[in-house]
Amino acid sequence: MRLWLPPVLLAILLCGLSASMPALEPLFQWVQPDKQQVVYERESFLFLLQNHLLLVLISAAVGTLVAVAGGIFATRPSGRDFLPLVSQVASIGQTFPPVAVLALAVPVLGFGEAPILVALMLYGLLPILRNTLAGLEGISPAVKEAARGMGMSPLQVLVRAELPLAGRVILAGIRTSVTINIATAAIGSTIGARTLGDPVIAGLVNGNTAYVLQGAILIGLLALTTDSLFEALERTWDRRFSPQVAV
Amino acid sequence: MSVTGPDASHVVPNRVISALGLLALALVWLLDVGTIQPNRIVPGTGHGLVSAVGWGGAALVTAMLAGSILLAFLKVRGRYLILLALVGLSLALLPLLLDVFAARHLPEDAPYARSSIAAGFWCLLFLLSLMLIEILGQLGSRREIQLLLLVVIGGSWLMFLQSDGLESLSLVREFNARPAKFEQAFWTHLALAFGAVAISAALAFGLALKMMRSPGWQRPILGFVSFLQTIPSLAVFGLLIAPLSALVAAFPALEALGIRGIGWTPALLALVAYSLLPMVRNTFVALTEVPENLADAGRGMGMNERQLFFQLKLPLALPVIIEGVRITTIQAIGLTAVAALIGAGGFGSFIFQGLGQAAMDLVLLGALPTIALALLADAVFTMLAASLKPTPATA
Repeated sequence: MRLWLPPVLLAILLCGLSASMPALEPLFQWVQPDKQQVVYERESFLFLLQNHLLLVLISAAVGTLVAVAGGIFATRPSGRDFLPLVSQVASIGQTFPPVAVLALAVPVLGFGEAPILVALMLYGLLPILRNTLAGLEGISPAVKEAARGMGMSPLQVLVRAELPLAGRVILAGIRTSVTINIATAAIGSTIGARTLGDPVIAGLVNGNTAYVLQGAILIGLLALTTDSLFEALERTWDRRFSPQVAV
Repeated sequence: MSVTGPDASHVVPNRVISALGLLALALVWLLDVGTIQPNRIVPGTGHGLVSAVGWGGAALVTAMLAGSILLAFLKVRGRYLILLALVGLSLALLPLLLDVFAARHLPEDAPYARSSIAAGFWCLLFLLSLMLIEILGQLGSRREIQLLLLVVIGGSWLMFLQSDGLESLSLVREFNARPAKFEQAFWTHLALAFGAVAISAALAFGLALKMMRSPGWQRPILGFVSFLQTIPSLAVFGLLIAPLSALVAAFPALEALGIRGIGWTPALLALVAYSLLPMVRNTFVALTEVPENLADAGRGMGMNERQLFFQLKLPLALPVIIEGVRITTIQAIGLTAVAALIGAGGFGSFIFQGLGQAAMDLVLLGALPTIALALLADAVFTMLAASLKPTPATA
């Protein structure tokens, strides 16, 4: 259980700090002595945190579903024609800067939560797709042959042999995707999504360093919490599955 | 370029190109190809394919797409070369559609009216590019030829954009309103991104050497640089402002050097911090993964450790190091755009200005060059790494 201690502690710190930011007013008064208001109050930090998380969670869930489905399709006999194109798109797509993708979504979808959700999904599914392909392609044909030899149907081979074997690599892809999306969602407040980026942007516009600090600290903590959560997940995965599947 | 693989012996229908072609055909007919705006801010009226370029133009586009779908199914030997010519030419001449559209619909007596590209055109561009990628993959063409094709298509687009016919295009209008600023943004963007890459390359080389000499440092160094990479860019930019401002306030001499709490100083620092992880990881892996038997062979030839490093390990490690430079450069180009938020300039300033003014074409003026820079850096460094790979005989 020691594995789960860092994410839990970080999550408590994150929520606690979000809830108690107004109590730290004297500290921020010291940082920014020349401003009347030093704690961001347009929205509560807990609301911003929740909205930020929701955006990332939805995009990660949809991105994972689409990417894993796409990866499975491109590695089946019926979809193999599409494999070169799909893997090219997954790698070329990742050279597009996330900010640019975010900016391109606005002319099409307008301001607000819709464009950022679409941008996060599209951009977030690329690393997962890439890792799904790498994971499924990396399985030695002998393993699949053995599974078929045991009398498994193609679906059983996929669910009982291929996906568990590729899962660790797919999980790493989801980790990359979520890390990028937490950062991109923060920038999303420039296009009207209400996330933890709001205080930073408001602070930059008004020259209020205290706002900037509050937003930046919470965004950083959110990223660290999520990252340590994935670290714990990956370690748990390794412990649970590796001894059985190691060749 | 030759058709390789199983396709050479028996020609099978290409389902990928036909699927892309069908999708393009559907989208270009269903979605608006262009819009006409009375001025910069007011949303425009959309025009479908027929309305935008007339029956003649619509027939031409349809014939081209139908032709490529047909070719994908035909059992003709050289069909990929024909498809390459067809799709390449279409991509190069695509701006002609906008030219015709502007000529047909732009009101004569409205100096502020402008034409914009709409979703149908973007979809056509995107799907044609995917078709091109698939065709090039099927032909197994060399990287140089791909780059040449890209230069020809890009050049054709630039020529069209500079011509009088597309003067009304909103993107061109936005550019014409600020050519000096655009040039300045270009150089600022390049200087920040490549400055960060150069500094981090030097730092990463030192760190990788340290990790090789004293393995005890491996975990802390790698842990620290991946910690840096985990923190979102906006947070890093934000967190640097307060300490830098305090530093400058404490030592006014720094201000004379141009160091400030906002602007290029925090931007460059953050970019370097971000660039360290891919640089350090790739440099370290590259240098440590030189096969030991090769090092032994070098020693057997009488090389000392210094010669071994510079004449054997470094050249062998170079492709992987360049791969690190490629990842870092792409990432830095994207992050430099974000750095515009803290006043660092570059193409990002157009993006955020445009978002602030709800002027979408200004957003495009910032976003498209950023993407182009990233793609170009990707192509150049991939080719560089490939050309530095040792031939199989020596590896």
